[in-house]
Amino acid sequence: MIVRKYQQPLLGYVSRMVGQREMALDFTQDVFVKAYASLRTYEPRYKFSTWLFKIASNLVIDHWRKKKIPSFSLSEPLGRDDDGLTLEVPDDEPSVPRTFELAELRRKVETAMERLPGSLRELFVWRHVNELSYEEMAEIKDLPIGTVKNRVFQAKEMIRRLLEETS
Amino acid sequence: MSCLTISDLYDYLEEGLSPERMNEVKAHLLGCRRCRRAAEERQLIAEAASTLPPFEVPEDFPERVMSRISRPKVKGSGWLIGLVSGSSLLTLISVVLIASGRNALEFFSGASQTFWESAKNAAVLTAKLAALISLIGRTLRSLLEAVSKSLSVLTSFLHPGVQIFILVLALGILASLFYGLRKKLSIGD
Repeated sequence: MIVRKYQQPLLGYVSRMVGQREMALDFTQDVFVKAYASLRTYEPRYKFSTWLFKIASNLVIDHWRKKKIPSFSLSEPLGRDDDGLTLEVPDDEPSVPRTFELAELRRKVETAMERLPGSLRELFVWRHVNELSYEEMAEIKDLPIGTVKNRVFQAKEMIRRLLEETS
Repeated sequence: MSCLTISDLYDYLEEGLSPERMNEVKAHLLGCRRCRRAAEERQLIAEAASTLPPFEVPEDFPERVMSRISRPKVKGSGWLIGLVSGSSLLTLISVVLIASGRNALEFFSGASQTFWESAKNAAVLTAKLAALISLIGRTLRSLLEAVSKSLSVLTSFLHPGVQIFILVLALGILASLFYGLRKKLSIGD
């Protein structure tokens, strides 16, 4: 059954986008209802999961707009000259993640994710939690693969810096 | 080879480089402690992010979805509701006609006769009510005219000073009556 197959990945994504569990459950239901209502528009050349995530993403963006939650367009620069992608490794200090146990590191990553701008958080979740390929993400967001990849790297670097701040 | 860029580092960790480039990066990492530490750090974060515990989905989640799918909201279908209602009414009338054994003409003439009977009764009742209201109005008018005439006759006989005295006296009696009653009934306390 389609719902059983996709409920977990969709809820994992939506929960991290909207924050509240009950709202995330409602949104995830909305994704399936909307998908059912617009089945005729589904093109079989795309993966079904990609199509579902696109519907979910549109619902999330609508929610952000209604709630006036700030996010930024993925096609706009982050406002830093180097786009936040300069290799930063202090020579003598211990590596940040090594100072945490894995379980603690997971909790810290989850918390750091909440502090990412919505559009970067979305890509990070798709890449690491839902394990989507860059091609799939580019298709969902209708952006060039290079842009998506760059934004995912930026999200990862932001997470790393946030972990550094909390260590 | 110079130190790695962030993009190179992530591409290497995600195995997104060409085989030649992968080998170059691997060789560089063996010899560069700084880049090796940077790669290890990012690898650990990626592992933690990829093994986050899943969110618990309620057991009845699929049933909840299915119950919403089986009763979808129909938007902008006022005309459809009208059509369905109209058809239902026609069907009901047909069933009544068939059950009563009457033809459509008889049915509608019967219905219109009942309607006109009711309208006639309502008109008669309205006319009677209007006559009653008019009678009450006429009686009140005569009474008020009589009172007015009596007052004018009285005022023509009495001196204006006496009239004022009587008026003040009447007002005093009325006021004392009002306060007496108020006290008796404890109004306003």
